[in-house]
Amino acid sequence: MAVGTITGAVLGLAGCGMADDGSAADRASHFYAAVAAGDGATACADLAVDARETLAEQEGEPCPEAVLAQDLPAPSGAGTARTYGSMAQVQYRDETVFLSRFPDGWRVIAAGCPPVDGDQPHRCSVEVG
Amino acid sequence: MRRLKEHSLGLFFGVLFVAALIGQAFAGWHAFNAQQAADGLGTLSLGRYLTSSDFAVDVSENWQSEYLQFLFYIAATVWLLQRGSPESKELDNAGLESDEAQKVGPYADERSPRWAAVGGIRTTILSWSLTLTMGTIFLLSWLAQSIAGQVARNEERLASLQDPIGWTDYVLSADFWSRTLQNWQSEFLAVGSMAVLAIYLRQRGSPESKPVGEAHSATGVEG
Repeated sequence: MAVGTITGAVLGLAGCGMADDGSAADRASHFYAAVAAGDGATACADLAVDARETLAEQEGEPCPEAVLAQDLPAPSGAGTARTYGSMAQVQYRDETVFLSRFPDGWRVIAAGCPPVDGDQPHRCSVEVG
Repeated sequence: MRRLKEHSLGLFFGVLFVAALIGQAFAGWHAFNAQQAADGLGTLSLGRYLTSSDFAVDVSENWQSEYLQFLFYIAATVWLLQRGSPESKELDNAGLESDEAQKVGPYADERSPRWAAVGGIRTTILSWSLTLTMGTIFLLSWLAQSIAGQVARNEERLASLQDPIGWTDYVLSADFWSRTLQNWQSEFLAVGSMAVLAIYLRQRGSPESKPVGEAHSATGVEG
């Protein structure tokens, strides 16, 4: 019985890396489409609350104006989404976006992140905290 | 009532296990959400936490080390001895022992398990079944730890805005071996110290101890 329980747990966990890719990717696409359309309010609604507040403080202006001032890229295509538990990353050719799953769905925690080498953390123009 | 008494050891540890697992679930859930909130990230419901990789890796890393401990102890005590310890066999008895001593094949009696009497592969399987089962649970728990650990580690990496790593890189990583070895060292210390301390120390009435008045030099005698 213990063997069966553990096997079930392993098989269940094996799916953790793949679940909900579509939702995270959809949120990322929605965010970039809003930025490209000049709709700062919609783009800000796609950001996590902390990212929204950090951006407004950093730029000294409300989030809808501040997010459009970041000169974020307009990536094409759906991107490659990778989900691990409550976190996700969507990679485009020259841009990476990070998302976290909140009770009301996926929200962007960092965007405007150019590629980096190896293990280095990305430096993003929009970030939480 | 008599039935309850005769199974009280298994029941006692079963109840302790469930209570401790429930406690771990609540404490782990609060600790996880506190860290997520401090980092400005999403928090999880209890239900989601219980199916999360964070909970799974914390559970499985302890399971694998406990089963490894008993796997080693069961197998090592076949051949290795400890003079004066009730955990050791008598000093002239190392090894798999004779069929007669083990009551297998023609030496099985009417109360022996059928597989002990039939010979062949079935008797071999029964002869090693405890080690095989402990070893299988150990390997599956360790595999579960590696899979859940990779997901949990990648959650942390994404929160730090680092790219995720694959399973192979994870099982070669410091995080995987730190989680593994910190559990192994404590298990090996506990089991080794028990084998040695039981040479000189006693617990009256416990089958894990020698009888109180037994000589320190007596080996393989249980109370």
